[in-house]
Amino acid sequence: MSVPPSRRAARLTAALALAFAALTTGAAPAGAAPQPMGRCTTGSGAVLAVDFSRWGGPIYRSCGSTPTTGYELLNQGGWRTTGTGHDGPAFICRIGYSGYRNGTQFPPPEQDDCVLTPPASAYWSYWHAGPGADDWEYSQLGAMLYKPKPGSVDLWIFGGTDIGGTQGRPQVTPDQLRAHNTRPSGGGEPASTARAPALPPGTDTGPAPVRTEPERPTSPTAPEPPASPSPTASPSPSAGETGEPSESAEPTGSAEVSPPATTGPAGGSGGDTRVVDAAPAADAKHDAGSMVPVAAGGALVLLVGVAAVFAARHRRRGA
Amino acid sequence: MARTDPGPAESPPPGPGTPPPGPGVPPPGRAAPDTGGRRLPRILHPVAWWIWALALATAVSRTNNPLLLFLVLAVLGYVVTARRTEAPWARGFVYYLYLAATVVAIRVLFRAVFATGITPHDHFLFALPHIPTPDWYAGIQLGGPVSLEALLSAATDGLRLACMLCCIGAANTLANPKRALRVLPGALHELGVAVTVAISVAPQLVQSVRRVARARRLRAGRSKGLTALRGIVVPVLEDALERSLRLAAGMDSRGYGRAGTASRRSRRVTGALMLLGMCGLCAGAYGLLDATAPAFLGLPALGVGALLCVGGLRTGGRRVTRTTYRPDPWRLPEWAVAGTGVLSALLLFANIGYDAAELNPSIYPLSWPTLPPVPTLAILLAGTAGFLAPPPTEPRAVPARRTEKAATT
Repeated sequence: MSVPPSRRAARLTAALALAFAALTTGAAPAGAAPQPMGRCTTGSGAVLAVDFSRWGGPIYRSCGSTPTTGYELLNQGGWRTTGTGHDGPAFICRIGYSGYRNGTQFPPPEQDDCVLTPPASAYWSYWHAGPGADDWEYSQLGAMLYKPKPGSVDLWIFGGTDIGGTQGRPQVTPDQLRAHNTRPSGGGEPASTARAPALPPGTDTGPAPVRTEPERPTSPTAPEPPASPSPTASPSPSAGETGEPSESAEPTGSAEVSPPATTGPAGGSGGDTRVVDAAPAADAKHDAGSMVPVAAGGALVLLVGVAAVFAARHRRRGA
Repeated sequence: MARTDPGPAESPPPGPGTPPPGPGVPPPGRAAPDTGGRRLPRILHPVAWWIWALALATAVSRTNNPLLLFLVLAVLGYVVTARRTEAPWARGFVYYLYLAATVVAIRVLFRAVFATGITPHDHFLFALPHIPTPDWYAGIQLGGPVSLEALLSAATDGLRLACMLCCIGAANTLANPKRALRVLPGALHELGVAVTVAISVAPQLVQSVRRVARARRLRAGRSKGLTALRGIVVPVLEDALERSLRLAAGMDSRGYGRAGTASRRSRRVTGALMLLGMCGLCAGAYGLLDATAPAFLGLPALGVGALLCVGGLRTGGRRVTRTTYRPDPWRLPEWAVAGTGVLSALLLFANIGYDAAELNPSIYPLSWPTLPPVPTLAILLAGTAGFLAPPPTEPRAVPARRTEKAATT
């Protein structure tokens, strides 16, 4: 009728040990790489832009080498996403960048608990603009399935849309966000080489890499013309203090913050949204929490269980 | 058989006027009840248990924290062991636990097979053979890598549903289904058979499983394996449905489903009111859940629908007069049990004294769940129903009843 308690306990211990091991060990590195913004050109690399204006932040943009997926772009170089409990990680529910407010992911849990699929009135919608395209296209694929073309722009904005993507369109134009240099600039080592760890075997990452252009770092002779002396984004996770938009926080002088971020072409139809370059940064430190609450909870469950066993004994003795 | 009159095993509580001498016939040799400092045994009003269980299920729907969910299961187990009766349906809680385990297993299996994708940060567990799908079918992946995070999130999600199932199971175990039927509004007589079957089929199933399994054991049949399963499932389903129908027929013959003195017109009005009310309730629920629906479809539609339903039940109930034989009293323990349940649900929805994020600990990235004190206390508070409710039967009177019951069935 029931599994003997000793075996059940053994199974439980095994499961707990597995969970423990998972929480304490890290993962192995390799995969599609984050790049400094200058490495994206009109024909190579994919630009990722995320609009934090809902929470008083700028539009961050960063660059990643192609072939990649929309999901990988959003999970490298300090970017991190959270899925929902119902749909898994493929449904982008929260987005965070380690250089903005210490890597806090938005929307915060008070605004959306990310358990069920968020409503169509408040979610991260996904927009593409191919190389040279003037208008945004509402993504028909999820982030894990979409593979950005070299020179294209991926934009994530928070808000509401209808199913066809005809309402709630982005306020910025693709031109404000895309890379305008024809040759990669700002070579050398990126600020952080933190990249997405290797995907497990069997993951569909799209076609094999097709190198159209040598991606050799050229000498940084022609840096991108800085548009204006602007707020600088600090990619260091320690720089952004809580509650303070990080681009106003000064760089803490850590060696990692090498490429100064530049603003993109300001103005246009975007109104007052600022565009800030997000250099590849280390992942925001994730605190796995302590085991004490689990132990306390387990003890409490055990206590109530003992009470139940006692009640059952009492019944049987009375019978 | 179709008896609605409770047998000796489901001895009703004493009426409000009579002093409670213990349920049923007092055992021989005990003239006065010797309570020994204990409370007098009495069966709690079934509606109190249902309110308690439904409130707890509502509270569960709020959280995804495995610690809290396991605590809810433990509390349910304690209350059920402490306060269930010896009636046949009251021994079925373990079947609800099996059902709950099945729900969790199915959820985990589906998450593993219909992969929702793996992220580079996840902890890779194993890979199932990947079945490639054409481009136009993108969006559904079959097989592929499975991460620990995916399985854990599926398991906690399933555990939440499992906890809600167990709450309903606890209500079915603790409350007498036949006495619960009596508090249904008389106007539901149009649906007499349906309502009876709906309410009593789960307890009847439990009862049937026990009877068929026992019969197999007595005949030295195999009680494990697939063939045994077939030998159990078919008679159990047939038996349970038949018994529910017989109960419905019995209630019919006692006037439960009678149309009374209703005129054709009043019956039509009742039907129209009920139908419109139900439509209103459906539209209201849809409007509340879909944020893009027009505003009038939400709460207003729900309110109008509820009002129409109440109106329909009123007009329907006015012409059905029912008298109650030995009514179930509603006293302090009933208030206490229902109150603890509702209070725990309110505490879990109030967001007072804890961070709402603690109710849904993050799985991506994996982190240990926390144990927020207020929700924990709220769930433990619901557990106090285990001693706030009076004991259902006198322990010493049990063996006599058990043999008596065996003789009658």
